[in-house]
Amino acid sequence: MPKPEAPQPPEVTCRQLEKTFRSGGKAVGAVAPIDLRFSAGETTALVGPSGCGKSTLLRLVAGLEQPTHGTVDIGGEPPITVTRRAGLAFAFQDAALLPWLTVRQNVALALRLARRRKDESKIAKLIDLVGLSQFADTRPAELSGGMRQRAAIARCLVTEPGLLLLDEPFGAVDELTRERLNADLPALWQKRGTTTLLVTHSIAEAVTVSHRVIVFSPRPARIVGDFTDLPRDETGRRALMATISNTLAEASAGSSTP
Amino acid sequence: MTGRLNAALPTVLAAAVLLALWQALENLTQGLFFFSGPVAVLRAFVDEAPLLLNAAGITLKSAAIGFVIGNAIAAALATIALAVPRLERLVSGVALVVFCLPFVATGPILRVIYGVGDGPQIVLAALATYYTTYLCLLVGLRSMPASWLDLVRSYGSGRLGELVHVRAMAALPYLTAGLQIGAPAAFLGAMVGEFTGAERGLGVLSIRAMRGLDVDMTWAIAALAAAISALAFWLFGWLGRRVGAEPPPLLLSARRQDLPRSRAAGVARSIAELALLAAVILALWFGLMHFLGLSPFFAKRPQDVSAFLFLDPAAAANRATLMTAFWQTLSLTVPAYCVGLMFGAGLAVILVLRPRLAAGMLPIAIALRSVPIVTTAPLLVLALGRGAVGTITIVAVMIFFPTLAACLEGMRRTPRLVLDLFASYAASPGHKLIHAQIPAMLPAFFAAARMAVPAALLAATTAEWLATGTGIGSLMALTASISNYAMLWSAIVLLALAASLLYALVHWLERRILTIFASEQLAL
Repeated sequence: MPKPEAPQPPEVTCRQLEKTFRSGGKAVGAVAPIDLRFSAGETTALVGPSGCGKSTLLRLVAGLEQPTHGTVDIGGEPPITVTRRAGLAFAFQDAALLPWLTVRQNVALALRLARRRKDESKIAKLIDLVGLSQFADTRPAELSGGMRQRAAIARCLVTEPGLLLLDEPFGAVDELTRERLNADLPALWQKRGTTTLLVTHSIAEAVTVSHRVIVFSPRPARIVGDFTDLPRDETGRRALMATISNTLAEASAGSSTP
Repeated sequence: MTGRLNAALPTVLAAAVLLALWQALENLTQGLFFFSGPVAVLRAFVDEAPLLLNAAGITLKSAAIGFVIGNAIAAALATIALAVPRLERLVSGVALVVFCLPFVATGPILRVIYGVGDGPQIVLAALATYYTTYLCLLVGLRSMPASWLDLVRSYGSGRLGELVHVRAMAALPYLTAGLQIGAPAAFLGAMVGEFTGAERGLGVLSIRAMRGLDVDMTWAIAALAAAISALAFWLFGWLGRRVGAEPPPLLLSARRQDLPRSRAAGVARSIAELALLAAVILALWFGLMHFLGLSPFFAKRPQDVSAFLFLDPAAAANRATLMTAFWQTLSLTVPAYCVGLMFGAGLAVILVLRPRLAAGMLPIAIALRSVPIVTTAPLLVLALGRGAVGTITIVAVMIFFPTLAACLEGMRRTPRLVLDLFASYAASPGHKLIHAQIPAMLPAFFAAARMAVPAALLAATTAEWLATGTGIGSLMALTASISNYAMLWSAIVLLALAASLLYALVHWLERRILTIFASEQLAL
């Protein structure tokens, strides 16, 4: 039974979504026109070659970029409306913790930005859940890369968003740490049934933590593979990983981008 | 505790050596009337302590008020530039030109406006302060990863949220560093303001002591001014550390610029921007004089200056007088500027080859950087005479310490990994210097060189005004005293123009060279 302030996770719909950037007077496509629907409460991994525009897609959904054409619809609302009531949270590759704030203050910052009451017990509970209770009053400079991402995730979750947008949150940490983070953290938001979009360059991560994997071509991003009903057994996962690898390789062939 | 003691040891030693040298110099120059050693200075200070401290308090008060006003203006300008990026180049241009106004001329005009009060001291202190703070804030308010701003925006906050939650705090180290440079500058501005005919203050005592050839007293006043400035510098550094502001990697750095679509488009844009800048400055000038209702007798308008220089029957003679004095000044200032930069950077290089010596010198160079050299101008002129050598020395010394401090700091920031790479090849110190440390020093060197342009002209004109009786500084003092305000304003226009152009020239060189050697160090 969800609490009243935790809204139902939204469905996310992209219609004819397109983004081009201007660079030196030339238009460069980042996202080709895309039609996509992300089901409520599902975790979807977005995989593709680096620089293909998958992060741009995520930023379009978050309202951090404005589309050149097309629309994003989050549970019937445009992104800007959703951000104003803290209906979504965005996790960044560099964790984006403010260095002059402690872990506790960084988590509290989300509540302040969302213009909500500071709830000490909720903050403490989340810091505990991500495993940082010993470091609540530590500043980010004294934390390891993995610990910073834990703090960032706590900050994302403290506003109880219906939509979570993760832009390679574990992209900058080592393989072992990444595995530990993936073992601990996704359960936190999946238990709440948050709609989640995860941009990652790790096929293994995509297959392990999500319900659905979408594969993109090199820039401008087009959908070249869409895998649902992911296998839960190890053999099935390995087979799927191989298939995704092949899809990626085929999409990249003929493109000058390595 | 012993660790801190050991760290401070080189500095203490270096300071002791300098004091000993100072005393030795006195013994060597015995019989020369212009020199006082530390003992004589201390005696003069103790004898006149109440008078000196009282005067210092008065100057300090003017400096503090001007400092606050200058920084408020800087913050307002930086906020405008941040809020309306299209206006940034215009705002920076106006800020630079106003910063380049020669104190030697604006001082007397302010004196006419304000009478004997504190007005000119406060205005000059504000003028001396605001530009460095503005530059620091301009960089500081943007010096953060894009993701911090995205974070704020992902909760639906706008520019105000960015400013409150991220930019203001991220700019704090830059702000305290700017205040650190600005505090001694404000004291210098207040003293120059007092030179223009105040009734009380350290500047007044300084002029009186020099005119009365009271050498010990002149030195005591200079030492006191130096001590107060160094203290102010140290105080703001301490405050910065108290609020947890790490010193920023690079101050006053050049900004990276968007590449124009083509060369022609770039030239066209620059010309349009310059035309707009000129129009805005003329409008500001005219508007200020008009709305303050200042008498056209001393508050000349643009049309008065153009008539004086181009339309009057005597225009050709006026131009000749002005330009002769200007070239006289420039012919001393430019070589002195180069000498100051060369010696500053050169000594930094030598010190880096002797790391223990460098560790001791850096704090002293930083402390001496904050000393208002201009206030020692009377001394140096006493010591070196009224010829070219005196002026050149004052200008060179004015530039030398900031350059030395900036270059030492720059080289200290050579990336660890780069040094390790050179060590892994057992590279000679010379190779390390040429390929790693000097390139690392360049951004700081150019920042210092750029800021040294107005400083050099200020030092030269002040020396000419107070002592040598040549050049445009003396022309300005003379015309101010005989109320030839059209000539005074013409000199202001010429000097502000020259300083701004030279500054722009160094800035252009800086961007050219840094794009090659240290493109990663250009601020965003």
